[in-house]
Amino acid sequence: MSRFFRQAGDSDSDSESDEELMSSGDEAPAKPAASTAKPAMSRFLRTAQSDSSSSSSEEESDDSDDSDDEAPQKKRTGLPRASDSESDEESDEEAPVKILSASEKRLAEMEGTGKAMDNALKINDWVAISNEYDKLTRMVQKQSNVSEPIPPFYIRTLSSLETSVNNAQTKEKEAKKKMNATNAKALTAMKQKVKKALKEYEREVKLFQTDPEAFEREFSATVAPEAPAPRAPRKKARDEESGEEDETFQTVGKGGKAMQFTAEGIFKNLQAVQEARGKKNTDRAEQIRILEKLLEVAVTTYQRIRVLLALISSRFDYNSSVASHMPNELWLSAQREVDQLIAIIASDRKYSIEEVVSLEYDELAERTPADEPDGILRVRGSIISFIDRLDDEFTKSLQNIDPHGTEYVERLKDEKVLYCTICRAQEFYEKTNQAEPLGRVIMRRTEHIYSKPDAVVQALEQASEASDIKPNMTLSLQTSTSGLVHALCVHLYKTGNSLLRTRAMLSHIFHHALHNDFYSGRDMLLMSHLQESIHQADVATQILYNRTVVQLGLCAFRCGLIKEAQGTLQDIFTTQRVKELLAQGVHQQRFQVLTPEQEKAERQRQLPFHMHINTELLEAAFLVSSMLVEIPLLASIDSEEQKRKAISKPFRRLLDFADRQVFTGPPESTRDHIMQASKALQDGEWEKCRDLIQDIKIWSLMPEATAVKEMLAKRIQEQGLRTYLFTYAPHYSTLSLALLSRTFSLPLRTVTSIVSKMIWNEELAASLDQSKGVVVFHRIEHSRAQQLALSIADKVSAMVDQNEKTLDLKMGGGATWGDRADGAKGEKRGEQTQERRGRGERTRGARGGARGGRGSRFAQGLGNAQRVG
Amino acid sequence: MAEYDLSKTIIPYLDRHLTFPLLAHLSETNLFPPREVQIAQYELAKGTNMFTYAASLFSQINPDQEVPADFEEKMRNAVSINEKLQQEAQAILNVIENPDVAQALRQDKNQNLQYLKDNYNLTLDQIRALYTFGQYQYSYGNYSGAADYLYHFRVLSTDNELTTSAHWGKLASDILTGKWDVALEELNTLRELVDSRQPTPLVSSSSQAAIEPTLAQLHSRTWLTHWSLFVYFNHEQGRMLLLETFLSPTYLNTIQTSCPWILRYLATAAILCRKASTTNSTSTPTSSRVRNAIREVVKVIQTEEYQFQDPVTSFLKELYVEFDFEAAQRELSLAEKVVGDDFFLQEFKDDFLDNARYLISEAYCRIHQRIDIGDLSERLNLSRDEGEKWIVNLIRETRMGADAKIDLEKNVIEINRPALPIYQSVIEKTRGLAIRTQALGAALSRANGPQATQQPPRAAADGQAPAIPVN
Repeated sequence: MSRFFRQAGDSDSDSESDEELMSSGDEAPAKPAASTAKPAMSRFLRTAQSDSSSSSSEEESDDSDDSDDEAPQKKRTGLPRASDSESDEESDEEAPVKILSASEKRLAEMEGTGKAMDNALKINDWVAISNEYDKLTRMVQKQSNVSEPIPPFYIRTLSSLETSVNNAQTKEKEAKKKMNATNAKALTAMKQKVKKALKEYEREVKLFQTDPEAFEREFSATVAPEAPAPRAPRKKARDEESGEEDETFQTVGKGGKAMQFTAEGIFKNLQAVQEARGKKNTDRAEQIRILEKLLEVAVTTYQRIRVLLALISSRFDYNSSVASHMPNELWLSAQREVDQLIAIIASDRKYSIEEVVSLEYDELAERTPADEPDGILRVRGSIISFIDRLDDEFTKSLQNIDPHGTEYVERLKDEKVLYCTICRAQEFYEKTNQAEPLGRVIMRRTEHIYSKPDAVVQALEQASEASDIKPNMTLSLQTSTSGLVHALCVHLYKTGNSLLRTRAMLSHIFHHALHNDFYSGRDMLLMSHLQESIHQADVATQILYNRTVVQLGLCAFRCGLIKEAQGTLQDIFTTQRVKELLAQGVHQQRFQVLTPEQEKAERQRQLPFHMHINTELLEAAFLVSSMLVEIPLLASIDSEEQKRKAISKPFRRLLDFADRQVFTGPPESTRDHIMQASKALQDGEWEKCRDLIQDIKIWSLMPEATAVKEMLAKRIQEQGLRTYLFTYAPHYSTLSLALLSRTFSLPLRTVTSIVSKMIWNEELAASLDQSKGVVVFHRIEHSRAQQLALSIADKVSAMVDQNEKTLDLKMGGGATWGDRADGAKGEKRGEQTQERRGRGERTRGARGGARGGRGSRFAQGLGNAQRVG
Repeated sequence: MAEYDLSKTIIPYLDRHLTFPLLAHLSETNLFPPREVQIAQYELAKGTNMFTYAASLFSQINPDQEVPADFEEKMRNAVSINEKLQQEAQAILNVIENPDVAQALRQDKNQNLQYLKDNYNLTLDQIRALYTFGQYQYSYGNYSGAADYLYHFRVLSTDNELTTSAHWGKLASDILTGKWDVALEELNTLRELVDSRQPTPLVSSSSQAAIEPTLAQLHSRTWLTHWSLFVYFNHEQGRMLLLETFLSPTYLNTIQTSCPWILRYLATAAILCRKASTTNSTSTPTSSRVRNAIREVVKVIQTEEYQFQDPVTSFLKELYVEFDFEAAQRELSLAEKVVGDDFFLQEFKDDFLDNARYLISEAYCRIHQRIDIGDLSERLNLSRDEGEKWIVNLIRETRMGADAKIDLEKNVIEINRPALPIYQSVIEKTRGLAIRTQALGAALSRANGPQATQQPPRAAADGQAPAIPVN
């Protein structure tokens, strides 16, 4: 085996050197002029070629494997090939590859795909089958291009495919478990394709079906004569496989031998390409090939810049539909080309690419920096839009790839190169002092790092620092990731673009929250007054806002600030559309059906999987903090009406539901755990409650899980004590503090402190007896009449409140004529009250009640998101 | 104790000259090595025109070195400049002090200028000489003179920027000469000036230009906050005024955003004003803000705990948030030292301690039903007899006189606090309803009534309208 490999490799390098000879021959006339740019370019081209050739060499060796393996068991595969006898004989002795003719090679390839199809068929993977089939069809078409007959192998595959497709479909109909959507789709597509192909090759198929042996014989007869001439076709085959360019050049230059690509003609060719761009029948792949070739022959820097600009945009053009993403290889080459472009401009400051060039210039003429008035040659183009597009395409591809497969992880690795490119672009804009694109590129950079843990950021930064072009702000200069994010954001705050400022602010807050810096995050959020204007922002920014708020809530939870966590997370959970608001899944609308456009827009907004905030963890945090706030509150109120006022509606709903259940089994889901824990807390069994809460599996996803669990245990002890006091106070006249401290395993001091606090806040009608160490309760039972008097007082005051609100609304609605009545004075007063209120709100906010007037504003923001969504 | 010293934090927000008293105080307290303080004083003096002072400091620091010669030269220079400036200023002063002129001057500054120009040939540039001279006098330490000149300049000048600057200069001069009444007045006008400056919308995302004035306003408020400490802690009524000012939303915001360390002074003032909050007998009516000062301050302290913490604030926190009396007592003894060492607060050390004890015992009594006198005395850092006396006084002074009795036999205080009768709470709840409903009716009739007959009732309605909360 090893011999085969080696030999395959040998022959490959042979041919490669052949090709190098050829290509250098091509370039020979241009060489002197292009000497400066030469290395990078040719390296690039060569890698492309060697890629393809190495892949083909793999295929070859695979094939020879196959033929080796299959040879003894010809019966099973049933593939009598024209070349079998020869190759078998010779493969044992000398180099078999040399002998393999082009057509044989193609045949081998086809068999390879056929085998892959068989395998896929076994596991019922129709997506793979469909792909393989497409490959096969392409090969067959190529075959017919060189006017060779249709190989019987293909026909046979076709007919067998037909039967298996039909089988699969009937099976699918009967089967209980449906296959997944993509697979099913592929199956139907396959059926169509097979049908079409069958029609096309009707005659051959019929022939084959009547007499397979004869058909094959006929084929081998036509092919046989070519076999003994190995050298020439081989060369041809090489051309076809490795350099598809060559082939297309022949088609381009229809009349003549091939199109001439020379340095002089570059601009003409460029223009031709650009004119064809966007037209209906343009073959985009072909255009890219032409441009690649042009790049190869480009001599001067100016030419190369022009060609690169055109090439990159045509790469982005390759995909016309908005929904599907760019193929990865195309993306990678586009990324490399952008890098190249930046490198050219960065190395030679005499050239510059700008979006708006005041000077008109002739597209067809060659230009040099020396001709320009200020010695700087400006070319129309925009690097920032390339960067934007690259980044967007990257996100799009992540949205489309199944996040649980290895492909996703592979794709994620490309983020590193993308990040490097962004950093390089930042450096370029820093040097050239272009404020507007610099802001945009910094925003892109921030978006790549703000939500990542330190280790990932370090990896990204290391990659970018390894390159020779470095921006001003790097991790090593700022010492910590927070420093880096801070530097980037501060730069963005200074830009004039308010959208960038808002986004930078939100990212910065998110970053603070991620690093458990709750106070800074909260202060920034409140000081920015974003909650007042966020509902006017675009959907993406609203999503970012929601993410930030949620992250802040999680951060508060981790820091043990239960009340804050509950208040922050409450808003988003009352909507019951958490996933949609965080752009992590499409919400099923019950009463209205989304139009396809809406659905598509919705899907485009979705975040790639690796950026998701775990909603189950989020829910656990929210429910647990709700429990800690709500259960003592529930215990403290005794009348029915008060009970209706709940702090956390979603929690209350779940609790009621759990109450109604007759039998409760052992807890399974997170919710079960929390509900049972709540009940235990209500009964004063804090230990059971603690165990239940700590058993929740999802905590393991939280950083510092053990610390969080400890914190929760402590909170449960405290709230358990409070709940106990509220619930059982009516039944005692005194309670010993020492007993309380023992029951809840809290230090005596803490117990005293908690009880004192409750007395001071008038939650508990009691006082402490210091000498005896007990709590003395002074409970007064109200008579029925007294109770009624109290409740009527409450109701009356509620009614007055309501009246005032109604009047307010009415006055507000009729403001137009009301204002006319008392003129400017009323208006002024209105302004003043507005201001006063605004100020009050601000202080209330600043004082930390994260709830304050924020809830309603936030709800507005959310509502807007829904409307747009 | 040096870690609690705020001088270093505060000094950047003070004028160079205002810093001298602070440093002088530091040299007395021995918190820092005396030599370092002296060097700091010298560095400070070097930047002013007080050359003799600087020279004397220099010789104190380096007794074995000659005073550098350039001091002499600078001094001579300064004297000559002074003379020149004085001449210029004198010319204007002569005109202004003329009784005719004084009578002719009116409110309108532009008219005044015109008048001076027509009759005495005085231009704006000449008037500026007053400012320059005032500033120069300030720079060599003649504060009262500076205050005079700056006052005259402010009356005449129309240049906004320089007038503001003159305001600050006058305030500093008044502070340094110790005329607290005048300084207080000056402080209030300056505060109005700062607050009245175009209240720009605080939306940070609107445009670049909008941020700058807001930032500038925040900046000047921060400075004003620091400077006002001099006045508030020296003026008779100062602490109350401090609470009034610092607890207003704008200044509270300023403190929270840019200078949380001011919380120490706020907390101290709140504690010092306790009497005003418990006994309402004082003739001057206190606003609700001052009355609830402690509650407010505790809230702020709690929110800003992550930014600033010192014994004074933690004392309040332990007492009113944690109700940990032992910790509160510990913090109090620390706070006592801090207050004693603080430049602004040193005068109030005893007062502070007294009031803090009251707070502790008040809270203690409210929570407990039966208190051991010995234990309470211990909490207050007092001996047993002293404690008893103290408690008797406390019971007499505060409102709980009726509820608390001392049982000497068992050595305990019994506190019997009857629960609020339900009738009382019903009355409380329904108290404001009638007025509010009236206001509603008035507002309704104003909205619906025909325009012609509206005149008289509207006047009444206008008076009540603010009672309607807008929300």
